[in-house]
Amino acid sequence: MKTVNDALGVVEIKGVPQRVVALDWVYLEDVLAAGVQPVGAADIEGYKTWVKVKVAIGPDVQDVGARFEPNLEQIAALKPDLIIGVKYRHEKIADQLKAIAPTLIFDPFSPEETQDPYKEMEETFMTIADVLGKKDEGQKMLDNLNGMYTEAKEKLKDNKAGANYVLLQAFSDQNAVTFRIFTDNSLAGFILSKLGMTNAYKSDKLEEFGFSETSVETLTKVQDASLITMIQTDDEVLNNFMKDNPVWKGLTFVKENRIFALGGDTWPFGGPLSAEVFTERVVSVLGK
Amino acid sequence: MNTVMNNGATVLKSSLLLMWSRYLLVFGGGVVLLAGMFFLNITQGEAGIGIQTLIDAFVAPQDVADHHVIRTLRLPRATMGLLAGAALAAAGTLLQTITRNPLSSTETLGINSGAFLAVNAAAVFFPAAFSSNSLIVAFIGGLAAIALVYAMAGGLTASPVRLTLAGMAVTLAIGAVSGTLQLMYEENTGRLLAWGSGSLEQTNWSGVRFAVPWIFPSALIAVALSRSLDLFELGDEMAQSLGQRVPLVRMTSLLLAVLLAAATVSVVGGIGFIGLIAPHLMRLIGIRRHLPLLISSMIWGAIVLLGADTLARMVADGSDELSAGAVTAIIGGPWMIWLAIRARKGGGHLQRSSDSSTLASRLSGRTPYPVLLMVLAVLFVVIWFLGISLGSLRLHISDILAAMAGGGDELTRNIIFNMRLPRMLVAAVAGAALAASGLLLQGIVKNPLADPSIVGVSAGAGVGALLLLIVLPHIHISWLPAAAFAGAFASAAIVYAVSRRSGMNPAILVLVGVAVSAMGSGIIQMLVIQAKIRASAALSWLAGSTYARTWEELWQLMIWPAVLLPVAWWLCRKLDLLALSDEVPTGLGVNVIRTRIWAGIIGVAIAAAAVATVGTVGFVGLIAPHAARILIGHNHRRLLPATLLIGALLLMTADLVGRLLFSPKEIPSGLVVALLGAPYFIALMRKSVARK
Repeated sequence: MKTVNDALGVVEIKGVPQRVVALDWVYLEDVLAAGVQPVGAADIEGYKTWVKVKVAIGPDVQDVGARFEPNLEQIAALKPDLIIGVKYRHEKIADQLKAIAPTLIFDPFSPEETQDPYKEMEETFMTIADVLGKKDEGQKMLDNLNGMYTEAKEKLKDNKAGANYVLLQAFSDQNAVTFRIFTDNSLAGFILSKLGMTNAYKSDKLEEFGFSETSVETLTKVQDASLITMIQTDDEVLNNFMKDNPVWKGLTFVKENRIFALGGDTWPFGGPLSAEVFTERVVSVLGK
Repeated sequence: MNTVMNNGATVLKSSLLLMWSRYLLVFGGGVVLLAGMFFLNITQGEAGIGIQTLIDAFVAPQDVADHHVIRTLRLPRATMGLLAGAALAAAGTLLQTITRNPLSSTETLGINSGAFLAVNAAAVFFPAAFSSNSLIVAFIGGLAAIALVYAMAGGLTASPVRLTLAGMAVTLAIGAVSGTLQLMYEENTGRLLAWGSGSLEQTNWSGVRFAVPWIFPSALIAVALSRSLDLFELGDEMAQSLGQRVPLVRMTSLLLAVLLAAATVSVVGGIGFIGLIAPHLMRLIGIRRHLPLLISSMIWGAIVLLGADTLARMVADGSDELSAGAVTAIIGGPWMIWLAIRARKGGGHLQRSSDSSTLASRLSGRTPYPVLLMVLAVLFVVIWFLGISLGSLRLHISDILAAMAGGGDELTRNIIFNMRLPRMLVAAVAGAALAASGLLLQGIVKNPLADPSIVGVSAGAGVGALLLLIVLPHIHISWLPAAAFAGAFASAAIVYAVSRRSGMNPAILVLVGVAVSAMGSGIIQMLVIQAKIRASAALSWLAGSTYARTWEELWQLMIWPAVLLPVAWWLCRKLDLLALSDEVPTGLGVNVIRTRIWAGIIGVAIAAAAVATVGTVGFVGLIAPHAARILIGHNHRRLLPATLLIGALLLMTADLVGRLLFSPKEIPSGLVVALLGAPYFIALMRKSVARK
């Protein structure tokens, strides 16, 4: 019997759960990182589009519907012994989930956690690994990751381009382009600082999700840094909207060709497996 | 009177003077103000550019970042705002004239939402074709929407209130379809959210270049038509006798208006109220003839939109853009309320619609009342049984019976008692409550197109719920129904407070309700955008959902109808009298105003309780009483039980369909109701119009 503190209180878990259902992508990833295949997960198709990590999700894992309203009957039918969800999506159905199986609900966006999302990521991952009886494997995963950061930092040491960066996601809607510029209190921001890099962008306020939504104008203030992008291939915002734009063309990082594309399936909100891929891609595009 | 006659000449002279000073103010002042607003707008932005640099960017342009920001980001944005404002104002002017309806605009007639849905659907289903043809797509969507509105309202000469209600019903239906698309294709259309609420954001001149070839010629043709439009105000026959080809002018103007709206929607998304506000402001100042009216409306439309955008950016403080469309909705609402009150003074009367009465007289009496109720009850049991046995797992009848008897396996019992049963019952009670509310409100408004959402209940509940979800995300979610209930009541209270001054005149009540709802949805859109990645939770609530409802929620919900329905039943007799006219019940000693107020309060309370539990479910309150009236006629006491049953049936069916359609994904039942209900409703309206 284990007792775990989650975002909603204390959860008691008997034995080592064998049948896990993950209702959000980050916990799906955590379970996979601990070396366990879940029996069910929400929106597997979407996960495959947005999250590229090195551990594949097994073919037998059942889809239990959308992340925001997962199918309770489907979940119950899988007879799970552990369910993992996220507060902002699953708080309302926590009681129903608990009637099916012990349920862990995490809250990565609480006022405390949002200060240091990396610590939150590690702690949540270790909690999950521990519950699944994979504490040692989990610790090894995190140790490996830290070793990887040290190596990567070494490789990037002489890389002037990577010293100051701006990390960007971009989406287009009709003519309007929205940029998500990541702040220091994002998971990705923490990883990059472990690689010895400095975020050139500062928001006036503490961003709950670790990014500001803003327009191309903001980039004029940080143009001396290097631009690192994560953009979906079916939404080529920069090519479609920025290529001929004088503002864009005049930005120092464009002129000096310091734009580094990590790819749209690099997921900046994930767990250790995402962090691993993120770090590898940063090294491969910057460490030349 | 005498003085006026004696001083006729002086009055004429001074009125001429007055007229010219007005023109100077409207045109001269307008142009100056527009230029000022334009300038103010381009000073705003994240890059923090000083005035001197701003001026330099024009007089001595250099190849530096700040100058480029001004010339290729801010200037196109302000220009697009100017064009969009002018286009929407011109469209509004045209629509108001040809419908002879002061409340017409591309927003109130459903054109914007039709265009938006078309673009949205194209983005999901034909992403490649979409980027190059969005104007054509938007145009077809807008045209289809207004055709529908006219068909529902009963043709080209429908009364203002009828047309507005039809516009709102169509907007509601279209909104539901758009909502379904957005939820089902979260990633594809998520980006369309910000645009949908009307963002002027531009990254280059291409938006302007795209819009100009449509907006300019359309506006020019409209101006060229202004003499014909002047004649229009004399009435169809008079205009015809003066050599006017009325249908041609009407068709041309309508097409121009839709084209102007489509050109703006496809570039900047749905921006409401400009087309309503600008022409009114001009008419109010005393401009009647269409040549000056169209031109001045365009100038002031541009001023209002640029002003809204300037305000939005001031509030947004750098990051997290607020959309201009949300701002125009929020400031446009009070304007519409004021207009509604004025329209009344101008003699805007409410026609009593006899749609369902003609139908009712054909159908009622054919089937005896008890038989009808029996049929509905049997249907209820059938749906109830299907709802218990079907889902992502199919339960066999023997398993269900075993579980009911207390046996069976744990999974089956859990699914029946903790999942399907409570949500089915919540759906049934909420559906019945919304239906009852609709019956009461239709009774006091004397219009079968009325619905709880018209008194602001849905929009208010949405604002309350979203404030909790987004502004106070760390408060426990169990407070959501309370917040929604408070919001629903607050906004209904506003509607009542404003309409009360007119003795609860039905027409004013409806228009004020529409206005308050529009303001509410402006605020909702604003909050949804702020929600960032929390948006999907908010969207599913707004769509109306019976997903995962619990026994506690059922008990909370039950209290209201249990207490209020007997009172409603007692009031039904008075509502029968109210349906006749205002004089008859007064003669019989019934206080008309007090009855309206009480029926209104009960209707709002029941609907608010339902909305607080299941989110903003539309259409049930519209369809259920309507269908009941066709079956039964006009006796409210006989109507009430049937209405309750039909409402319960509707939402239960929607819950079931939403669970089965794309299993394991669930579709919010509110969207299913709208998808099922909208075609039925439209068909019904068309039929009843054809009979007339």
